[in-house]
Amino acid sequence: MRALYALYSDPDAAQRAVNALKAGGNSLGIGERQIVVVTAEPFDGYDFSDEHSQTHIFLLASIGGICGAILGFWFTRFTQFSYPLNTGGMPIAPHWTNGIIIYEMTMLGAVLWTVATLLITGRLPHFGESLSDPDIWHGKILVGVTDPPERARPEIERQLRISGAAEIRSRS
Amino acid sequence: MSHKWGMVIDLDRCTGCEACVVACHAENNIGTAGPDQASRGRAKHWIRVERYWEGEFPNARVRFQPVLCQQCDDAPCEPVCPTYASYHTPEGLNAQVYNRCIGTRFCANACPYEVRFLNFYNPQWDKPLHLQLNPDVSVRSVGIMEKCTFCVQRIRAAEIQAESEKRELKDGEFNPACVQSCAPKAMVFGDLNDPNSEVSRLARSNRATKLLAELGTKPSISYLQQDSWQNGKNG
Amino acid sequence: MAKTAEQIRTDLLRPLFYSGPGYWLAVAVTGSMVLAGVFAFGYQVYHGLGVWGLDWPVFWAFDITNFVFWIGISHAGTLISAILRLANAGWRRPVTRCAEAITVFALSIGAIIPICHLGRPWLFYWLVPYPSERHIWPNFRSPLLWDFFAILTYLTGSSLFLLLPIIPDAAAARDLAHGWRKKLYGILSLGWQGNPKQWHRLESAMHIMAIAIIPVAVSVHTIVSWDFAMTPVPGWHSTIFGPYFVVGAIFSGIAALILAMAFLRKFLHLEEYLQPIHFDHLGKLLLTFSLLWLYFTFAEHLTAWYGNDVSEMNVLWATIRGTFAPLFWIMVACNLIIPFPLLAIKKLRTITGTVIASITIVAGMWIERFLIIVPTLEHKFLPYAWGHYTPTWVEITLMVAGFGMMALLYLVFSKLVPMISMWELEAGVRKAPIIRRRAVSFEAAATAGAGVGQPEPLATDVRP
Repeated sequence: MRALYALYSDPDAAQRAVNALKAGGNSLGIGERQIVVVTAEPFDGYDFSDEHSQTHIFLLASIGGICGAILGFWFTRFTQFSYPLNTGGMPIAPHWTNGIIIYEMTMLGAVLWTVATLLITGRLPHFGESLSDPDIWHGKILVGVTDPPERARPEIERQLRISGAAEIRSRS
Repeated sequence: MSHKWGMVIDLDRCTGCEACVVACHAENNIGTAGPDQASRGRAKHWIRVERYWEGEFPNARVRFQPVLCQQCDDAPCEPVCPTYASYHTPEGLNAQVYNRCIGTRFCANACPYEVRFLNFYNPQWDKPLHLQLNPDVSVRSVGIMEKCTFCVQRIRAAEIQAESEKRELKDGEFNPACVQSCAPKAMVFGDLNDPNSEVSRLARSNRATKLLAELGTKPSISYLQQDSWQNGKNG
Repeated sequence: MAKTAEQIRTDLLRPLFYSGPGYWLAVAVTGSMVLAGVFAFGYQVYHGLGVWGLDWPVFWAFDITNFVFWIGISHAGTLISAILRLANAGWRRPVTRCAEAITVFALSIGAIIPICHLGRPWLFYWLVPYPSERHIWPNFRSPLLWDFFAILTYLTGSSLFLLLPIIPDAAAARDLAHGWRKKLYGILSLGWQGNPKQWHRLESAMHIMAIAIIPVAVSVHTIVSWDFAMTPVPGWHSTIFGPYFVVGAIFSGIAALILAMAFLRKFLHLEEYLQPIHFDHLGKLLLTFSLLWLYFTFAEHLTAWYGNDVSEMNVLWATIRGTFAPLFWIMVACNLIIPFPLLAIKKLRTITGTVIASITIVAGMWIERFLIIVPTLEHKFLPYAWGHYTPTWVEITLMVAGFGMMALLYLVFSKLVPMISMWELEAGVRKAPIIRRRAVSFEAAATAGAGVGQPEPLATDVRP
């Protein structure tokens, strides 16, 4: 995976760079998916970060909870009636006590679905190549283009530089 | 009609001789703890005779109360067992299924009558006492809870015998070991579903009370006593 | 905080790459404690539960005391991470990972204890609901099964709650490490890149888990308390046990967290990250919970005393005036009398003050668990069945091994993962802008031929 990118110390400069790359998208011949931003921490409040913030994770977590509840309900009743044994005069499938198990299964379902959503939509685990640079861990924001068309490289470099990059790096 | 096994113990007849304790040990292969372990509280007396002293010398009085598993209808030991080792049979017994028991000891803690016991060690019998073990009763290994079963092996033997002879069980046809060995005949055992049985008749007596009845456990054992020290009367 | 991102990374990743002789000594000591416990457990399995001090009628003592104690300690992480996260309390940021680690490890130890305390521990898996050839399922009416599900859910939830924020820090370690460490962190980081989509998913997931884990934590210790409250015996059959135990759990959890933080601060040289203000805040929380604990204890005992039920009074007098009186008053001293001035007086609420208070509180809460269990079992309804309990070396060794295991797990963890969440710390250092960076510039749109809806170059921004 080839790439051309720059590192910015200032999130505003990074935002300018992203805007510039997006604005010149068609003329440069790069699609939106090729514009990559990599950071060492979440940058809430900036567009380059927030435009990806729409998730359905709350809905999925709730669905996970409902699945857990249904599973818990079925499981307790099914097992209790498949081998019914009288204990202490209680009903074979008491609602109160089964409710505790159902509650725990609901929470477990919500948690597991949340994590599954995170992993799937975040494309984790990802063991292929992905664009990154060790300098992001020193506070820099990486903004770049993966697989840039050759003819567009000088223009991309120019856009990155005028946004405020000190250094342009490339990977091949 | 199905049976519901119950017992009546007449405290006005009990002399505290503890023949029932010995008989129970013999019948049910209960391991002897030995003096050292017994002093550490490890003895397993499925039936025990509790002694309570009243008054001061020379007006001291002792009361005897045999306490065994009450085979409660709403037994608190049953719902708490995670493996169904303790459950209620259709004949009204609180069964202890030894091979399901993993020894959480929750049942013993829940029992208000303290009639459940743990095998702290593998039981051992010095030779030749191992020859007197009852073949109808399993020997419980370490970590398993045990308690009075109303001599369920005798109940089952009698039921199987009656069934094979195609007849009903007769009242008094068999008894648990403790009832059988009681010299003053303080203990009576039988079918509480049969209104004409001895045990049903005695359970209807106006001397009958149940132990810790206020807890709502619905025990199957009634105790007969003319006056109860719980009522504060001294006969 | 004047630390740059680079400095933060260097400070917090240093322990992963360097270990001094003191560390290995600590590992050796705690490792031997754990080994002693393993030996004691083997001895117990071989000879039988008789090697413990249990007897008729005291069938639970040190084993369940330790179980409830460790599950209680595990409530540290939930309070700090989840509640403070939801309350947006910024001071939680350096503290979250230590707290979450305590939760996971304490919970793991707490989960092992019920297996070790069984009469037939090799059959512990019968508590697990699976289709067995015995054609029988476990009894879901039993509080022990509720324990199983609650601890399973809480352990899964808190492990994920701990592991998810580690992913970005593992990615940092991966990029900055070499050799086998690079491979290890490569796996641990799951190929994390750090693009905005991943960050948002991660933060949303953490938010949901924070919301979910709080009711789970409350339910876990409530269910543990119901191991006692569901029995009809005096001293246990109390409706207050649910909230009482949860409050006590959070109480002991905060104390354990303070101890862990003080330990890390000293030995990992994190003085600039774990500052006196953190101990001050936690000390105030600890004081609050000390008073809450007092409230519940008083309510519990007053109700028993005022009700004057014979059996309840036997247990009460045994606890506060009889054989257990010394332990009871030591507990009150440890949970209230000693910590109160140390935590209430600002001048005394220093790191040393909170640490001393936490040590006494941890000891006091262990005693409290013991005093809930044993006096009741020694004095049930029928006086002829009263008994006595003394621990044996096996139980004491197992208890010590529990503490050793906790310390060892913590020591190992502190070498694998930075004990302070680096990305959360940085995100808290750099404040987010109040006004979103979104600008409209018509010139730029006209000249650049931008597509519809694309963000334009910036106009002015407002920095808070």
